[in-house]
Parts: sequence; structure tokens; C-alpha cells
Amino acid sequence: MIEQVCLNELLLESAKEIFETMVFMDLAECTEPAENAEDCALLGTITFKGALEGCLAFCCSVPCARAIAMNMLGIDTSEEIAEEDVCDAIGEICNMVMGSVKKRLAESAGNLEVSIPSVVSGRQLKNNMGEGSHKTTVKINIEDEYVTELSLLYHENSN
Amino acid sequence: MSKSLLIVDDSATMRKIVMRTIRMSGLDFETTEEAGNGVEALEKLSAGPVDIMLCDVNMPEMSGTELVKEVRKLSDCENTKIIMVSTESSQELIDGVIADGANGFITKPFTPEKFQEKLSPFMN
Ligand SMILES: [Mg+2]
Repeated sequence: MIEQVCLNELLLESAKEIFETMVFMDLAECTEPAENAEDCALLGTITFKGALEGCLAFCCSVPCARAIAMNMLGIDTSEEIAEEDVCDAIGEICNMVMGSVKKRLAESAGNLEVSIPSVVSGRQLKNNMGEGSHKTTVKINIEDEYVTELSLLYHENSN
Repeated sequence: MSKSLLIVDDSATMRKIVMRTIRMSGLDFETTEEAGNGVEALEKLSAGPVDIMLCDVNMPEMSGTELVKEVRKLSDCENTKIIMVSTESSQELIDGVIADGANGFITKPFTPEKFQEKLSPFMN
């Protein structure tokens, strides 16, 4: 029903929409090989269900998450930012990117019900959804400085 | 005329982002209060009504849609304008919450211009 290639594009476009409007940072798809695993230390996820069921995940380094949060909040680089604000900001990124994905998928997947986002330390997004599930990951370069990952893990519900 | 504002969102970070966006929009409020959920918002409102309430939809304890119904039961708050702020943007949700008494809907991601457009009709 949904082509992986299109999904890649859709994830990237959704992320661009959010980052341009609310974060004021430039995004580009990253074509370079994977960075050091420890660079991806924060994982924000949000789940959805409907004709498609699964989760959207955004993974980035702590310095990247801080830069995103500071931009969203309009905090000067010389100021301090609370860890709670950093996690909250990444959760909100997931929430908004998911909102944009949902809007773009509405025609093919109908209405998706979306959860409240959660943010944890650690990079591994485990695929425990079993057979028939798909994972699409797009590597995104932020401001030419940070490499991040945006993934969609899902399976299609036939009923 | 100076106006009062109440921002209801379970994320403290989101409340800060909303405040930042309002500052950028040039809208000027005399007082700005915050609440982290519907119950807290009702407590604040019982102490005195506000002119404009910005309200998240997805919140634990009491959702934004439930909060709208509760606020509309308060005779003190009949002039309070309620603007929902959410990434959820289905027409069904928007129509439902407007029917329940909300006065407007801002979808995330939002811009200062969006706040200007949706709030300025209620600023006089
Ligand atoms: Mg919320």
C-alpha cells in the first residue's frame, strides 16, 4: 500500500516543515555513512494506530538536542537550559513531525490515532513488531553540524 | 484595552514556546498565567476569569476538549475566548470542539503570524 521510497521523502518533508517553522534550523538529507553510534544518545518516540500501526522515532546526540531546544525556546547560547526542557522539546518535535506525517498519510492510511510522545536515553529502536513490519529510516543533517535519524516503524492493519 | 491570557499545556516547554511566539507576534497581554492541565486551569479560572485561554488538546488528567466543556459551564467565563492549539487537525475534532464552545483553532507547527491572525479579533 505504501512505498518505502515515498515514505523516505514524506519523513524528510515533514521534518523540514517543522524545523523551518518552529526550530529555525536548516535540514538536509544526509548521504554520508553512519556516524559513531554514541552520537545518537537521545531517542524520542511517538506511537500511532489505525490502518497503519507503529511508531515514529527521532534520534539525535545530546548537543544536537540542546541546540534544537535552545532554538525552539529562543534561548541564547550563553544561557543554561534545563534537561527537562531539552527532553520536552524533543518530545514536541516527535509530536509535530508525527502530526505532519499523519496529515500527509491521511489519504492512503485514513485517520491515525497518535499517543503522547516519550523521550529516553539510548539509541536503539528495537523492532519488536514481528513479521510483516517495515522500518524506514532517513538520516538528516541539521545545520551541517549534526547527523540525526528519523524512523518510521510500522505494519499495515488489514481490517 | 489590556487583556489577560491563560496558557494551558501539559508541556512546560511548549508553554514557553507559545509565550515566545506570542511575544514575536507583537500581541501584548497585561497578565499571562499558565496551567499544566485542565484541573489546574479550572482552579485558576475559579479565582477569576481571563480574556483569552490558549488550550492544548492532548493532556493527561483532563483533555483540552473536556476542559472546553467545563469552562463553558462557568458563568464567570462566558466572555473568555478559547483558542485550541494542537497538532491534531482533523475537521471532525475542530468542528466538535467549536461546537462545544471553543472560539478558534491553531494547528502546530505555528508561526507568530498565525497567532496574530487568530487572536487579534479578540484583542479589542
Ligand atoms: Mg500536550
